[in-house]
Amino acid sequence: MSHTAASSHGAHHDPLSRENVTLAGPHPMGFTLVGVGLVLAVVALIAGFIGAGGVTLKHALAAYHIGSTATLAICLGAMALVMVFHLTNAGWSATVRRQFENVMAFTPVAALLVLPTIAIEIATHGKLFLWLSPEWANDHLLHKKAGYFFWPQHHEPGHATFPVFFVIRAALYLFVWTYLSRRLWKLSVLQDATGDRFLSLKARFTSSWGILVFALSTAFAAFDWLMALDFRYFSTMWGVYYFAGAIYCGVSVVVLILASLRRAGKLEGVVTSEHFHDLGKLMFAFTVFWAYIAFSQYFLTWYANIPEETSYFLHRQSHGWQNLGIILMAGHFGAPFLILIFRGVKKSYNALTFMALWAILMHLCDIAWIIRPMAYLPTAGDAGPGVAGVWLDAVGIAACPLILTGFLLRKVGSGTLVATNDPYMPESLHHKNYV
Amino acid sequence: MSSFSPDELTARRLAGQAPGPSMPPAPGTGDGSLVDDPAVRAPLVLNNRSFHDITEIVCGYAENKPPRWWLPAFLFASSLAGFGGLMILYLVITGIGTWGLNNQVDWAWDITNFVFWIGIGHAGTLISAILCLFKQKWRTAVNRAAEAMTIFAVICAATFPGIHIGRQWMAWFLAPLPNANGIWPNFKSPLLWDVFAISTYGTVSFLFWYMGMIPDFATLRDRADRRLRQLGDSAARIAPFVPIRTDKARAVIYGLLAVGWRFSSRHWHRYEAAYLVLAGISTPLVLSVHSIVSMDFATSILPGWHTTIFPPYFVAGAIFGGFAMVLLLLIPCRVLYAHMKDLITLRHLENMAKILLVTGMMVGFAYSMEFFIAWFGGNAFEVDVFLNRAFGPYWWAYWTMISCNVISPQVFWIKAMRRSPLVIFIVSFFITIGMWFERFVIIVSSLHRAFLPGEWHMFHPTFVDIMIFVGSCGIFLTLFLLFLRFLPVFPIAEIKAVLPQASPHADDHKKGAH
Repeated sequence: MSHTAASSHGAHHDPLSRENVTLAGPHPMGFTLVGVGLVLAVVALIAGFIGAGGVTLKHALAAYHIGSTATLAICLGAMALVMVFHLTNAGWSATVRRQFENVMAFTPVAALLVLPTIAIEIATHGKLFLWLSPEWANDHLLHKKAGYFFWPQHHEPGHATFPVFFVIRAALYLFVWTYLSRRLWKLSVLQDATGDRFLSLKARFTSSWGILVFALSTAFAAFDWLMALDFRYFSTMWGVYYFAGAIYCGVSVVVLILASLRRAGKLEGVVTSEHFHDLGKLMFAFTVFWAYIAFSQYFLTWYANIPEETSYFLHRQSHGWQNLGIILMAGHFGAPFLILIFRGVKKSYNALTFMALWAILMHLCDIAWIIRPMAYLPTAGDAGPGVAGVWLDAVGIAACPLILTGFLLRKVGSGTLVATNDPYMPESLHHKNYV
Repeated sequence: MSSFSPDELTARRLAGQAPGPSMPPAPGTGDGSLVDDPAVRAPLVLNNRSFHDITEIVCGYAENKPPRWWLPAFLFASSLAGFGGLMILYLVITGIGTWGLNNQVDWAWDITNFVFWIGIGHAGTLISAILCLFKQKWRTAVNRAAEAMTIFAVICAATFPGIHIGRQWMAWFLAPLPNANGIWPNFKSPLLWDVFAISTYGTVSFLFWYMGMIPDFATLRDRADRRLRQLGDSAARIAPFVPIRTDKARAVIYGLLAVGWRFSSRHWHRYEAAYLVLAGISTPLVLSVHSIVSMDFATSILPGWHTTIFPPYFVAGAIFGGFAMVLLLLIPCRVLYAHMKDLITLRHLENMAKILLVTGMMVGFAYSMEFFIAWFGGNAFEVDVFLNRAFGPYWWAYWTMISCNVISPQVFWIKAMRRSPLVIFIVSFFITIGMWFERFVIIVSSLHRAFLPGEWHMFHPTFVDIMIFVGSCGIFLTLFLLFLRFLPVFPIAEIKAVLPQASPHADDHKKGAH
């Protein structure tokens, strides 16, 4: 069955007609937003350097790091789902996969955007990453773990040691994610051009080993860039925790893109409320999965009550951080669980758009809950920057998500909005959720 | 094109009198299900079976004389079960001292067996609940048998904590029942949560399984009733000199089990709604049960047990072990029973082999995370436990686990391997062994060396230990053989729904509708 035959079934016009599946071109606001994002990032860092309003570089880096790692999570989440769609020969997702791929395409840039923090950290000997700081160089635990960061060099107190192994790993993640996202992207657009349906099998094969490499690289990137900010803490669950949040907001960003396209009158009869229903189910599933992982991680630490683990949470349960924790419980899980459980919400473009925006906000809170307490460690005589810190956060956190938005405004418009020659296109066009 | 008055051929097909549209298996597709063209969905039932064929095949397993191997197999399995039962009796009247436990290793085979069996059940729930929500139609071929297996595995699992308490006459203390002494179980203990989790799991799994069988019971009832009417006095008796006719017994028993099912569309409507609700309830159960089992260990502060990844790691391992068991049971059935290859195709086996590969690597991921964090945590005892696992006196158990669970499924990267029932069977066998050893490694290797060298003890299983485990395998096999003999092994209506002729568009390509 060819898709022209299938898609004309019961419809007056071809859903895959050119005007329905393309935009006029890249959105003119794209570059502006990228520019604004870059300016914000620079402003935040300069404010940190010069110490405006009591903020320091540490605070600026924390704000920027929240934005960049959250943006990276969005892209990684989209990439994971592209691979899962290929691996499971998913039929329903054929009309929505291109938008996941658009988000995935930003992965290399998102990973690059994390690097300035690392570079500045190394150059300034650890403002945010405690293990780089000379203050902690005599710490017994750091001596035990130094190999993870500094190998093959010996970490000696009093010397600024370059973290060779840490940097090698960062380069490795960048390479792996760039290769995977480029390869999956190329196979998809090649199928658009050639119509060769067997390219789907190639994409499936790439995804098969890709998902394994992805799992390891994402887990260790989460260890390196988030968990190890406080090198004393350790949790085997950490990689899964980051992954769970990544999928949740990856889907949410795609929901936002598709809802805007539908509002612009595109993808009529291609992406329907049935697809939104399934995307909503994914959001629902992963808000629950995130809660399951977050709860298990917290609960097992709380129950065993061993000081080397609890210190991490104790810090985040005092100094006002407990409020952020409560917001996460209620907002990252409680409210979305109770709202997304309704079928009507999942099938409504507007309601799901709101839930997606909410999910991204909560994801930023989640990452902020991990990073921000690192910059605002309670030290004697350090009251913190106060209100200036909030302004700095607003500027620093917004930078990378804005760059991603600008990129997407250009990327979405620059090609077809669906993978037109996907072999599962007829199935996806007729996708219905009734049981 | 669907219409109000189908043509004669379509009408005959829908009535089960004509075979479905012919689709000769293309060359290179194995039994016809191994289609490698992404534009073509593999057929889920082979050989152009009509609706009537499906009914005949599935009901035939319960109605026809059992195959010749069935009775010897049943006698063997039930003897094992009986011998295991005797060992339990011996344990009850003698005491836990008949096991090889010692001061240090006070949890060993019994808890290993408990976790092993509970894990086995998870594949059934995953197939019936999660794959249902994912609309994976291929689940219809295996869901009934997997669900049955779940129930039987839960029964085996529940035995072990029950007999481990030592004073079995106090077993009712497991449940929080009001009593004159005002003694309550410890609500803060994961062991108590286990009681709730497993009883909930057993109940919901049973409801799911039973509810799915109701329409099939009704079919069996109606067929027995019709034969009874046709044959009258000449209908066969259960045994010579027993004045009960076989079909009479069937009509009564299946009739009672079918609880008045009449195949009305109103029944189906409620059935579908109830199925979806049960799937929704079962899905968190897949995760919660083994998560709570994992908390029996992870809430402790024992090195080797206390690690945060335990809940999802145990769940992945449970699904892994459960799928291996499903394959271990169904691959021989597929060969031994007539026409079962039409219902469980090579594609079904390949899909399940892929699940084994994925979940096996998830388990491998967890193993490596444990090792990495043991080192990164900087706790000398934690490091020592893990090194002791791999290179200490239990090294053979550890490497059995690694080679069976992580290395053996890697053969499924090769297409020919994951499409060969024999290879899948062998790997499933290894995985079943490996998953038993995984629990043994976690439990015994973490316990046998405490913080003081004076408390170091090896665990040696006794004959009673071994025979109770063998006995539980006997119970499991006995129940499964009874299931194969007397119950509908496949969901008849659900399989009919995935036949090509069930689709209103089945004949489109012939008529040139577009």
